[in-house]
Amino acid sequence: MTGATGPREPGPLVLHGRTFPPGRLLVMAIVNRTPDSFYRPGLTWDEGAALERVHQVVAEGADILDVGGVPAKPGEEVTAEEEIRRVVPFIAAVRAAYPDLVISADTWRHEVGRAACEAGADLLNDTWGGWDPELTEVAAEFGAGLVCSHAGGLPPRTRPFRVSYPDVMADVLDRVLGLADRALRAGVRPTGIVIDPAHDFGKNTWHSLEITRRLGELTATGWPVLMSASRKDFVGETLGAGIEDRLSGTLAVTAVGAWLGARIFRAHDVAQTRHALDMVAAVRGDLVPARTVRGLA
Amino acid sequence: MTGAVPAVVCAAVCPSPPLLAPELTGHGDVLPGLRAACAAAVARLLAADPDVVVVAGAGSATATWDPDGRLDLSAYAPALSAGGKPGLPLALGLGVMLLDTAGYAGPRVLQAVGDQAPAAECLGLGASLRGLAPRVGLLAMGDGSARRGVAAPGHLDVRAARFDASVECALRDGDMAALAALDPDLARDLLATGRAVWQVLAGAMGAGGAAGIPAGQVLYADAPLGVGYLVAVLGPLSHEVDS
Repeated sequence: MTGATGPREPGPLVLHGRTFPPGRLLVMAIVNRTPDSFYRPGLTWDEGAALERVHQVVAEGADILDVGGVPAKPGEEVTAEEEIRRVVPFIAAVRAAYPDLVISADTWRHEVGRAACEAGADLLNDTWGGWDPELTEVAAEFGAGLVCSHAGGLPPRTRPFRVSYPDVMADVLDRVLGLADRALRAGVRPTGIVIDPAHDFGKNTWHSLEITRRLGELTATGWPVLMSASRKDFVGETLGAGIEDRLSGTLAVTAVGAWLGARIFRAHDVAQTRHALDMVAAVRGDLVPARTVRGLA
Repeated sequence: MTGAVPAVVCAAVCPSPPLLAPELTGHGDVLPGLRAACAAAVARLLAADPDVVVVAGAGSATATWDPDGRLDLSAYAPALSAGGKPGLPLALGLGVMLLDTAGYAGPRVLQAVGDQAPAAECLGLGASLRGLAPRVGLLAMGDGSARRGVAAPGHLDVRAARFDASVECALRDGDMAALAALDPDLARDLLATGRAVWQVLAGAMGAGGAAGIPAGQVLYADAPLGVGYLVAVLGPLSHEVDS
């Protein structure tokens, strides 16, 4: 079997039976089924509001929906049962409404991953970097995709405390490629494996800037790279900007990541992210502009 | 029995903006009415069953080009190329594109006309085209003024609409003398790059000859983006004579 650690030829990503070639830039829209996520807490806590957001982000060009039931930050415990209660019926409702939409479940727990897949999820977004190894087996069992992330070895829902790396990118590469290799060995579809350096997770702002600058080293592995930078603290700290004022910084980082070869972009602001990515794709020559007449009349 | 005098049996008049090439204009269907009119004019030209089609279009100098030449858009969009074939001046390339799109595979002569060529030279060049074959088809690629409005590439010149209308009238009336009389200096001021080619057309149709030509049909006359676009068909014309 081919290991994950050597570079591979970039191939199509296949999710929900849909094939996304390497040049295609995908927007993963965030829908949090939580009362206390960091950006606009409780915005989609109500199921009706959450479904309304799904309609909106689909219309705005989202390719993937990422449904999460537990905030990343420390806080009141959310049990697996409660997490399932928050996300699984919702995933089932979205699947019923959008038979063709790719749905991702943002969870580190295999029990939640299993219930999510049963309800129609296509991708397991394991942001906490393989904390629960059984999640990989669930992805293999259901033929789901799996996001292999670097969280610096931190337990779920913890913040980095004086975290340090001799070489953060080397650590990211080592971790995500190790997880991808483990996923392959467990039988996860190679066309469903995604790697994510996980900005801010187990990282200070300098670390996140470094992995953005050196994202090309991650994309050079050939695995599809997910970039999750939307309105995160490293953007805020860099610009001295509060959460509400981080969109332009997010889009700048998004453009850099797209230019360096990332393929999936997890976003709060779907329409703006779609525009930024389409612009990058056109600059790169991968997207034909909408309508060009300037100077051509 | 009848014998054919070498003559132009039909002429199609089309503009030559880069945006006529779909590769340049993105996803959207840009000016579908203009594109359809050009296709219709070329279809009419080919229906007249010419032995050869002469494509006349503006160039930096009067010259004939390799008939295997193709449209080269690389100077407008660097990612696009002529696909290994010799690249042509834009107007000729667009004419070739229209012929190819219409499925024309017969002989073609690609005639660039120097955009500063004097009227007499253009008329003479046109007259010489008549002798190329018994049945000559002419595709004249030329544009009206690029000063048709404040948003036009050359901004507004109040004389522009009148100038373009005079050309439209001449085509509609088959008045080749009016085309022959177009003022090159005014055309240059108005950024009307079709002047020289229209005068080649006039020469080819026999401007100044005793016999007038039948009225033409104007299929499109508008300036949606500030440049005057004219699409017209002259003919088919009967030149059969009893012998």
